[in-house]
Amino acid sequence: MTTDELEQLLARQPVALLHRLARGRVHRHFRAGKRRLIELLLQHSSQNRAGLESDLQALLEVRQSRPEPGGRPTHTPTPSTRKQLPAQAPIPAVMEPAISLTSWLEGIGVPTPQPFVPDPWQLEALSAVGETDVVISVPTGSGKTYVAVEAARRAMEDNRTVIYTSPLKALSNTKYAEFSRLFGSEKVGILTGDRQENGQAPLLIMTTEILRNLLYDAASGEIDVRLDTLGLVILDESQYLADPERGVVWEETIIFCPSQARLLLLSASIGNPQDIADWLTSIRPTTCRLVRHSKRTVPLRAGYLHPNGKLTPLFRTLGIPYGHPSQLHPEAKRLFSEYEEETLPAGRPRR
Amino acid sequence: MPPSIHPVDLITALRHKHLTPAIVFLTSRRACDEAMEAFDHADAVLPPVRQEAIGAALERVITQYPSIAEHPLIPIVQRIGVAAHHAGHLPSWKIAIEELMRQGHLDAVFATTTLAAGVDFPARTVVITQSSIRKSRDFTDLTIGEVQQVAGRAGRRGKDHVGFAVITPSPYIELNVLTKGLTGHPEAIDSQFTISYPMVLNLLKAHPHEHIQGILAKSFAQFQLNQRAELIQRKLDQVQTQLEPFGPRVCTDWITQWQTFDQVRKRHPSRHPAHRSESPEIVARLAFLTPGRVVGLSKGRGIVLRQYRSKGQKNSMLTMLRPDGAITECPVTSVREVYDRTYDCAEIPSYPWCSTESFDQLSEQLEDLPPRLPILPILTAPSVEPLPDAVVQSLGDFPCPTCSSRPACQKDFPTASRLRQEQHRHMKSIQALRTSLWHRFQERVDVLQTFGYLTSTAQLTADGEWARLIRIDHSLLITELIRAEAFTGADPSLLAGIMASLAHDDDRPGAFPRISPGLSSLLRQVRKLAESLSPHEDPPLLRADVAALAERWIAEPTLTWIGLCRLTTMAEGDIYRLLARTIEFLSQVQTLKATHPGLADSAAEALALIRRGVLEELP
Ligand SMILES: Nc1ncnc2c1ncn2[C@@H]1O[C@H](COP(=O)(O)OP(=O)(O)OP(=O)(O)O)[C@@H](O)[C@H]1O
Ligand SMILES: [Mg+2]
Repeated sequence: MTTDELEQLLARQPVALLHRLARGRVHRHFRAGKRRLIELLLQHSSQNRAGLESDLQALLEVRQSRPEPGGRPTHTPTPSTRKQLPAQAPIPAVMEPAISLTSWLEGIGVPTPQPFVPDPWQLEALSAVGETDVVISVPTGSGKTYVAVEAARRAMEDNRTVIYTSPLKALSNTKYAEFSRLFGSEKVGILTGDRQENGQAPLLIMTTEILRNLLYDAASGEIDVRLDTLGLVILDESQYLADPERGVVWEETIIFCPSQARLLLLSASIGNPQDIADWLTSIRPTTCRLVRHSKRTVPLRAGYLHPNGKLTPLFRTLGIPYGHPSQLHPEAKRLFSEYEEETLPAGRPRR
Repeated sequence: MPPSIHPVDLITALRHKHLTPAIVFLTSRRACDEAMEAFDHADAVLPPVRQEAIGAALERVITQYPSIAEHPLIPIVQRIGVAAHHAGHLPSWKIAIEELMRQGHLDAVFATTTLAAGVDFPARTVVITQSSIRKSRDFTDLTIGEVQQVAGRAGRRGKDHVGFAVITPSPYIELNVLTKGLTGHPEAIDSQFTISYPMVLNLLKAHPHEHIQGILAKSFAQFQLNQRAELIQRKLDQVQTQLEPFGPRVCTDWITQWQTFDQVRKRHPSRHPAHRSESPEIVARLAFLTPGRVVGLSKGRGIVLRQYRSKGQKNSMLTMLRPDGAITECPVTSVREVYDRTYDCAEIPSYPWCSTESFDQLSEQLEDLPPRLPILPILTAPSVEPLPDAVVQSLGDFPCPTCSSRPACQKDFPTASRLRQEQHRHMKSIQALRTSLWHRFQERVDVLQTFGYLTSTAQLTADGEWARLIRIDHSLLITELIRAEAFTGADPSLLAGIMASLAHDDDRPGAFPRISPGLSSLLRQVRKLAESLSPHEDPPLLRADVAALAERWIAEPTLTWIGLCRLTTMAEGDIYRLLARTIEFLSQVQTLKATHPGLADSAAEALALIRRGVLEELP
């Protein structure tokens, strides 16, 4: 197809189909008129014309297999399109009635202050990190910082240096302030490319790149006393290992981390934390301990808010039905298909 | 119905249901800014006590970070208790908002998803309006891990009994991406290990060349490659068990032998493309002269390590392993005899063409060969239109028709040949998985040798010694510029300008402040060099406008931050990031004190000048 042909073909399509095509291709496509939309589609697809053409063909086929949208309104999707829903997860034998909004909203509020009691996983990690490397993979907001802080405290009491790294300068600055409050500012230092604040302190904060550079310098003979007494290296947000550009820095840091220092990797939930632990075990002097769980400390509920302001639970169940993505709340389902029908009136196949 | 809920309505609804404080994730910075504008005339104002509390909290942050004192969003933040937080803002602004949020003063923050990545910033509720995010240039669906990272910000420990993730539709939403993300198991992470020039230099500085393979083997990349190799190894083991009944018969390598026989029998032309320049005899041999084959040469014997053709050479060539471990090249024509004897040879795609273990084994096997070896009879495939006669004739040259094992071979051949192919395929894949990192390392070594950073024995040259200290993106370009003396006599502002254009990898458009002729001509030189290096290193964007911006900031110490921001259409957060990255690059140049004192001084001077105003606020 030449550009002109493609352009003419696009021009013959209803604007709704063009919007469908523009999803994920054209930013803010919803704002564009038909002419502009075609322009943007062609512009965006200059690198991948084939992709655009094949998506267009697929959409045209779906349209042809549908009844003409003359006899509207038909709000319920036709059976043939219903089949295109994603594979259903097994539905529990007894379908409980969907949760009501009132019960979904129940329990909002602030818990009464409790004395701080460490979680069992936190204690497990802390007792392990004295002897071995530890990988922690727990959900966001579980309390990994507590483990980092306590482990750092113990290492410092042992007269050992601790290095804490984060992927972002912003996060380093937050932790610098937080740790300074906790340990006293004379105990905490921060290193950046051109600056050192309190660079001889026993607890040093830096980005992972800076630590990698320190380790390279040490390997080539430049002596750094801080590395000689290094007892603990905490790598926060270790899921950055998977970052396309920067992940390699985490690998270099772990490979060159001095063997006398313990490694503590803090990570959000990832799919293969055992692999990371096995990897560490295979290259480090001690057997790495994995501490993981996937249960959120503060339970999470999911809701759906319609553009008209109506709120409903997203799932049939109170909590999130793990493993059952299709257990949508009937009300949320109805409102969302209404949204789809109304914002993209015709020819928009449901995924 | 509007395509998405109005920000004011959203906040009203959340407040009404006690779902605040909330983080509202929007698709773009623009969307966040527009959401804030929507509150300009809104009457969703806070009671005076809360307004005062916000004012007081802001005061405290401002004493630490004066740069935000005049921030245009402050009135809305104070009046309504909502704020925007995205990469277009200064870090100090983001810190202030995070602080206000932590102290519980705000009802909502409009943010882009960059916030989800590891900033300590929780809320009771997270509002999700999109199912895809912009990565480099394209929009891609959020992964399960990303959805959970975003939704996971909801529910503060100690401050909430429950957290809420609320989805509200917008044109950028696919509901099932989000429901899958919320209910699914996060993806496994994959190694993204790459081998950079500075990595090679630093490794070779600290370790002898022969230890490097062992160090690379410690990477997570190799760990994962090994996992894959083990899977294939298991398959290979199965194939090998299945191949057991098809071991040596009258001739050791009856499978290859039969393959050729079979081809001729069926009058299929040989799979090897006939090379016009080579006689049919030679062409027929090529199929047998594969790695591991023992052959007789005019002087002694050898084992084939590889077969290749290079341009301009009439004949196919062989790399041979000779007695005493010598490796020689010879044309196929110099092979006198092809023996019916092959050994296992783990091929690798570079010198010495087989793995070290293979090399040692083959050398030994070559020494231990008996004086007499069976010669492999090779049938010559007819070169021109094969006459049926010729085929009949040629069959006579083959031992197979008269061989006692022929019926068995004929029967087993299809299975054996399939298994053999599978076996080779698996062996090749395993080999590739085990050695790919090492090859990538070697490729880098080759480049560094060509440019003179490494000697032919892979030791650091004088240039390599200092070049290893440049451990940032575009390191080759930077070190080549230094060697070309591009910065000699350049003043700090020029140096900073070039470093800025090297450091900035964002392609959001910006304006173009006046650029000095000196910087402009230097930039031209950099572009030229970058282009010539492009086979070895991806060229940076080298934008003139950001170079000019950094130059101005350094050259004009009286220029204020506001003044600088007025020179360009870039957001102040982007300008800050540009200069912060420039600082990183300059501080690497500054480490070259010992070898390039002039340059290092210039970098130090640039650093001192760049660090002022906003850039002085944070370490
Ligand atoms: N055992 C505990 N009991 C009560 N509260 C806790 C406990 N451990 C941690 N917390 C609190 O939980 C909150 C979240 O902790 P933290 O910031 O360490 O989480 P995180 O796991 O690092 O999350 P992220 O993935 O966002 O980095 C903090 O306010 C902390 O004080
Ligand atoms: Mg954390």
